[in-house]
Amino acid sequence: MAAINFGYTISKPRAIDIDRNNLRKSDEILREMPELQACIGCGACTAVCTAGRLTDFNIRRVHTLVRRGEYKGLYEELNKCMLCGKCRLVCPRGINTRGVIMLIKRKLGDF
Amino acid sequence: MTFYAPFCLPFLLGAIFMFAALAWKWGRWLKRLPRKDKLLIRKGIFSSATLRAIREVILESLIHRKIYRVNPLLGYMHMSLAFGWFLLIVVGWIETVFYMGFRWVPIQGHVFFKYFATGIDHNAVFEFLMDFLLMMVLSGVALAWTKRFMSRRMGMRRTTRHVPGDRLALSVLWFIFPARLVAESLICALYGGGGFLTGSLGGVFAAVFPRDVLLYLNETSWWIYSWCLGLFFVALPFSRYMHIFTEIPLIFLRAYRLKSTEKVSSYDHFQIEACSRCGICIDPCQLQSVLGVNNVQSVYFLRDRRYHMLTREVADNCLMCGRCAERCPVGIDLNTLRLNSRDKIRNMPADRRYSYLNGIDRSSGTGKVGYFAGCMTLLTPRILDAMNRIFTASGDEVWWADKEGGVCCGRPLKLSGETDAARKMMEYNTDLFRKHGITTLVTSCPICLKVFREDYHLEGIEVIHHSEYILRLIRTGKLRLEHGSTPFTYHDPCELGRGSGIYDEPRKVISAVGTLLEPRDTREHALCCGSSVANTAISDAQQLKIARAVTSELEETGAEVIVTACPLCKKALGRGATHEVKDLAEIVAGAMK
Repeated sequence: MAAINFGYTISKPRAIDIDRNNLRKSDEILREMPELQACIGCGACTAVCTAGRLTDFNIRRVHTLVRRGEYKGLYEELNKCMLCGKCRLVCPRGINTRGVIMLIKRKLGDF
Repeated sequence: MTFYAPFCLPFLLGAIFMFAALAWKWGRWLKRLPRKDKLLIRKGIFSSATLRAIREVILESLIHRKIYRVNPLLGYMHMSLAFGWFLLIVVGWIETVFYMGFRWVPIQGHVFFKYFATGIDHNAVFEFLMDFLLMMVLSGVALAWTKRFMSRRMGMRRTTRHVPGDRLALSVLWFIFPARLVAESLICALYGGGGFLTGSLGGVFAAVFPRDVLLYLNETSWWIYSWCLGLFFVALPFSRYMHIFTEIPLIFLRAYRLKSTEKVSSYDHFQIEACSRCGICIDPCQLQSVLGVNNVQSVYFLRDRRYHMLTREVADNCLMCGRCAERCPVGIDLNTLRLNSRDKIRNMPADRRYSYLNGIDRSSGTGKVGYFAGCMTLLTPRILDAMNRIFTASGDEVWWADKEGGVCCGRPLKLSGETDAARKMMEYNTDLFRKHGITTLVTSCPICLKVFREDYHLEGIEVIHHSEYILRLIRTGKLRLEHGSTPFTYHDPCELGRGSGIYDEPRKVISAVGTLLEPRDTREHALCCGSSVANTAISDAQQLKIARAVTSELEETGAEVIVTACPLCKKALGRGATHEVKDLAEIVAGAMK
C-alpha cells in the first residue's frame, strides 16, 4: 500500500557520534590542507555554486560532514561539482576550494 | 691504407649501440601510433609537407633559428655545437673523398681520418676548413661551460638542474672536442700538416716533448677521444641528447599534422624526448620568478614524465599560461602534454556523472545571437550589466544562455584532468545551443571561448569573444563611442591571447575609447594573472603575490585604469591593484553615446 501523503514528512532520527566515527580520512585531509581549519562555514561557496543552482549540491554541507567523519555518499555528491572555481573566488578565508574538492575526492574515491 | 686501430673500438661499439637504440625507440613509438596518426603520415609523406619539414630541420635542428630569436648568444652556442659538428662530419667526408677518391671507407676511417692519413700530402684548404670548424665547435663548448657555471652571463637567470645520466653525457660531450684538438695536434706534431689550430698546437707539442713521449701521448689521446665519443653515444638515447635525433622525426610528424590530445598517445614520446632541457622555459615561468617554485617548470615536468617519476604535485602545479610554450625553441606542445598527464592521473569513467543536467534549460530571450556569460562573468555583475547595455544598443536580439544559472563550459574540469566528465558538460551545452538555433555565440570569458572553439563541435555557429563582437559593432556603426582622454593599459588574458590568438581586437576597442599604454611584457609575452583555473596547487597568498607582481608592472605604464578582457583576470588583478581594474565591456558601456 502506498504511503499516505500528509503534506509533511518526519526526518529519520539521526545522531552524529564523533567519538565513534572513523576520523582517519578526515584527519588526512586536514593534514594535507591545513587551511581548511580557517573555514568559518559562512556558506559563500554554496551561495555562488554553479552546480548548487541546478541541484541540492551543497559544498558547505559536504565539507562539514567530511570533517565529522560522515563520508557515506559524499564522493557521489562531490561528483556533481563542475569545478568551475567560483567558490574559490568568493571564499573570505582564501581557501583553495577546488584543491579541497579534488583532495576529498581523491581520499574518498580510488584515484 | 688500413682503417683500423684498436682505439676505434669504444667509438664503434658506442655508435652501433646508439643506432640500435634509436631504431628500437623510434620503431616502437611509430608502431604504437594511433591509426588516424598513421593515416596522416601516409597522406603527408608524399606531399609538400615533407619539403617544408626538411627546410625546418635545417633551420631549427642545425642552425637553431628560434633560439637566436630568444637569445642570440645562446643561439650561437647551440648552432656552433650542432651545425659545427654536422659540418665537421660533412667536410670530413668530402676531405676523405678528396684524398681517397670514391672508394669505400669504414665509418671510423672518416671519424679518425687524421690518424690514418699520415702518409699523404695535405691540402691547405681542407686543413684550414677543418681547423676552422673545430674552432667553431670549441667556441660553443666554451660558451656551454660559461652557461653551466655563470648562467647570467648568457642571459639566463637560471639553467637546468640535471639528473646524473645527463651530467655524465654532458661532461663527456664537453671533452669530446678538446680531446679531438689534442689528438689531432699530436698527430701534426709527429707527422706534420695541420691548419692554424692543430698545426700550431702541434708545433708547440713538438718543441716541448721528445718524440717517444709524443708517440705515447698520441696513442693515449686517440684512445681518450674514442672513449669520449663511445660513452657519449651510449648515453645519448637515455639522456637529454636524445633530442638531437628526435627533433628530426618530430618536425616531420608535426608537418604531417600529428597533434597531442587530451589523452596520452605514442606521438607524445616524440615531443617529450625532443626536449633538450635547455631550460629556456624556466625564466618565463612566474611560479619560478615570483614564487620561487623550482621543480615544476616544463623542463622538469617533461624530464619526470620521461623517466616515469612524474608526481601529481608536479603535474598539477602549473598555470598553463603558455608563456614557456611561446618561447620553447623546439615548439613542444607543453600545455597539452601537461593536460594529458593530468588526465592519466585523474580521469575516471563518467558515464553516470551529471545526469542531473537532463532537461535543464535556464536560458532566456530569443535571437540568433547567443550570449554565454560563463561562470566567472556571472560572478562579476558589472560585466554582465555592461554587456546587457551593449546588446541593447546593438539592436541585436539576444538569447541569454546562462543568465539564470547555466552549466559550466567544462574547461576547468578538463584542465584538472577529468576529461571524460568535462565531455558531459560540453555535450549538454552543445545541445542547448543547437536547440535554440543561434548562429553566433558571444562569450565574455576567454576560458569558455577556447573550449568552445577547440573542443565543442559547433559547426554553423560562429563563436566569438565579446572583444570581437564589440569591435564589429563599432565598425558597423551600431555602437557610437565617446573618445575620452583616459590612459588605459591592457592585460592580455592567457586564454585569449596565447590561447586563442586574439591580441588586436581588444586593443582596437580600447583605442576607440581612450589611449592605450603597453606594459613591458605584452602580447605573446604577457604575464598571467595567477588565478588560472588550471592551477589547483598554489595557495591564495601565492595567487595574490603573482597578481601584485603583474599589477605593479601594469601600473608602471602610468595608466589610470587597467583593462582586461577576462572576468577571472579582472577578479585576480583587482585584488592586487591600487588602480581601477575594468573589463573591456565596462569601459565600452561607459563611453557609449
